Amino acid sequence: MTRQTSGVSNAGPIHRRDGEPLGANSEIGRKLKQYYDDLVSDDVPDRFAQLLSQLEEAEPAQQKD
Amino acid sequence: MAASLGFKGDLLAAIPGLRAFAMSLSQNADRADDLVQETLVKAWDKQSSFQPGTNLKAWLFTILRNEFYSQMRKRGREVQDSDGLLTARLAVHPSQPGRLDLDDFRKALEQLPEDQREAIILIGASGFSYEEAADICGCAVGTIKSRVSRARNRLQEILDISGEADYGPDAIAAQVMGSTVS
Repeated sequence: MTRQTSGVSNAGPIHRRDGEPLGANSEIGRKLKQYYDDLVSDDVPDRFAQLLSQLEEAEPAQQKD
Repeated sequence: MAASLGFKGDLLAAIPGLRAFAMSLSQNADRADDLVQETLVKAWDKQSSFQPGTNLKAWLFTILRNEFYSQMRKRGREVQDSDGLLTARLAVHPSQPGRLDLDDFRKALEQLPEDQREAIILIGASGFSYEEAADICGCAVGTIKSRVSRARNRLQEILDISGEADYGPDAIAAQVMGSTVS
């Protein structure tokens, strides 16, 4: 794992002009989505559905008039 | 009670997003699921205060966020001190330049202050507008914008990404990284 010697010529060829700071084209924006989608697609433990059922039994949702 | 079934169903559908947000905030799987559980209980108790037709997801995120910060206050500064500040100066360098690894990104995200992390998550990943994010965080839209911007700059700095923004922090980052231009 060598550290990239970040010197003067490190600017890279790509200079995007994204209007928004987290545009779909930015590396940060892409990674952020990937990171989050990973979490969202995680399997949900049963305990949450059980919890909601318990809540419902204990105290049925109030009906709005 | 069709309405209550609907509410329960809506809560169920919101769980994956809530868990992702909780995980982003707390950076800890157990704590995240506790937060989600607490959020569901509170949401159930307060459901009469939810106005149908308004944004349920934003309402739930607000509850979860409040719960997170209230737990943080109870725990004192433990979270920040142990996980945040000590590692804040450690730069994460992509193992392969140009190919940013997801683990590297995760580590970088952990180093952000909570307010910046939540802002960039809400805007860049959870799909909220600046206005919604401001509502969730109880602050001004301009504050959210500036937090997102600082979060993004900080991530670029930590990850040593350059050439992404035309006004980017490259010059500053280069100084911080100790690479002096002779």
